[in-house]
Amino acid sequence: MKESKSGIILLWMLFVPTTPAYAMHISEGILPFKWAALWFVVAAPFVAYGLYRLKKLSTVDLSFKPLVGLMAAVVFIISCMPIPVPTAGTCSHPCGTGISGILLGPGISILITAAALLIQALFLAHGGLSTWGADIVSMGVVGSFAGYLTFRALRSMKINMAIAGFMAGLLADWATYFATSVELASGIRGDSPFMPLFWKLLIAFIPTQLPLGILEGAMTAGMVVLLYKKRPDLLVKMRVLKPEEAL
Amino acid sequence: MELFSDHFKKNHVLSRIDARVKLLVALVLLAMVLSYRGFAFPSLVTLFCLFLCIMMRIPLRALVLRFSEPLFIAAVVLFLKCFYSGEDALFSVDIMSLRVVGHADGLIEGLLIVSRIIGAVSVVAVLGFATPFTEFMAGLSWFRVPKGFIEILMFAYRYIFVFFEDAQVIYQAQKNRLGYSTVRRGLNSFGTLAGALTIKAFDHSQSTTVAMVQRGYDGAMPMLRHKPFKSSEVVASALFLVVMGVVWKM
Repeated sequence: MKESKSGIILLWMLFVPTTPAYAMHISEGILPFKWAALWFVVAAPFVAYGLYRLKKLSTVDLSFKPLVGLMAAVVFIISCMPIPVPTAGTCSHPCGTGISGILLGPGISILITAAALLIQALFLAHGGLSTWGADIVSMGVVGSFAGYLTFRALRSMKINMAIAGFMAGLLADWATYFATSVELASGIRGDSPFMPLFWKLLIAFIPTQLPLGILEGAMTAGMVVLLYKKRPDLLVKMRVLKPEEAL
Repeated sequence: MELFSDHFKKNHVLSRIDARVKLLVALVLLAMVLSYRGFAFPSLVTLFCLFLCIMMRIPLRALVLRFSEPLFIAAVVLFLKCFYSGEDALFSVDIMSLRVVGHADGLIEGLLIVSRIIGAVSVVAVLGFATPFTEFMAGLSWFRVPKGFIEILMFAYRYIFVFFEDAQVIYQAQKNRLGYSTVRRGLNSFGTLAGALTIKAFDHSQSTTVAMVQRGYDGAMPMLRHKPFKSSEVVASALFLVVMGVVWKM
């Protein structure tokens, strides 16, 4: 019984992307024009920073651009695992930005997220063109920086790879949904005060975000540990590990 | 992944229109829908876009898939606004000794957001259905979207399908070996699956680069060349936007 329960949960999470239940992030049209525009303005310097990093790194390594594109495909697939949050009027999902932040740095991770979000918005109605800026800020900027900084801070304290990866994934996920709640509350509140709606949205995310954050943490830890055991050379190449730390 | 299918994009007048023109018209319409304070304009746009979808013979299943989640989200926003915001009580319902009050002003505010969501989703749906990905990328490059970003999009689009199949194969293999028999094993397997995809991304990036360098890749991918704008398309689009602008102003 226990077996079948856990199997069903994870099987559902993996097979939802193969079924056509498409939608997540902040939905197209939900933010009024001025709020949608504001989030584009907020996202722009971070995307510019990502492009600057991409240009710099791809001039010394021709395979860097393909790598970033392929990581965007991985993030796309990871973030296509929707879990409905009926109380918040949206869907939830693992973000995958924690791991891309850890491996490629927050600047490149923002670009990866922006690319995955644009494809989802155009062809799957996940998120939207008008909410692209807001989604870049919450998933790309907040998620990537939270994951990257947490991982770096914990590693500098000599915390082991699995725990650092877990915490990075967990906090990247929770920080993303904190930011999403801010964006949603400010966008749809109308003339109502901001804080009550913000708390309602934050609480509404809890039923899925608490377990999902843990899942994202476990996923990030699993990925980092797998890379550490099987391909430490990749972690050295991405400067996640020093050469002497590799097995 | 069905929605990625390009099969209904090929032989229709809309799919033959220059991607730049479609993109520009869609962005202007989107801005109009988002900045409109009322139901009329977004509803008109929705009806028009649905008409276009029918004209393009988009399969009903694809349309339902495309709209199902935004409609669900719209319904929940309506519920939230009606019951959690506003002051003018419109009706009340007693549910297990709990009185739930619906507000007229909240309902109207909710309906405004709903019409905006459906209008905006309709515009982007038509754009997505009528524009093949490569043409869309070429259109973006004309709008001066940085080339590096467009290249990332093209790599990502190409490999989504590859990784999707890989993920399914890995998942089946894990499942057959009881990789999801307990929560702990399941989480471990899930992490391994994601990690394996990441390793594949690294490995494929190396082999792809080697293959591309052999074909002359020097760090920049060629884009589709832009044909000159067709004056008929430009004039028709401009007229369409003027008409929509007049309706928007009314």
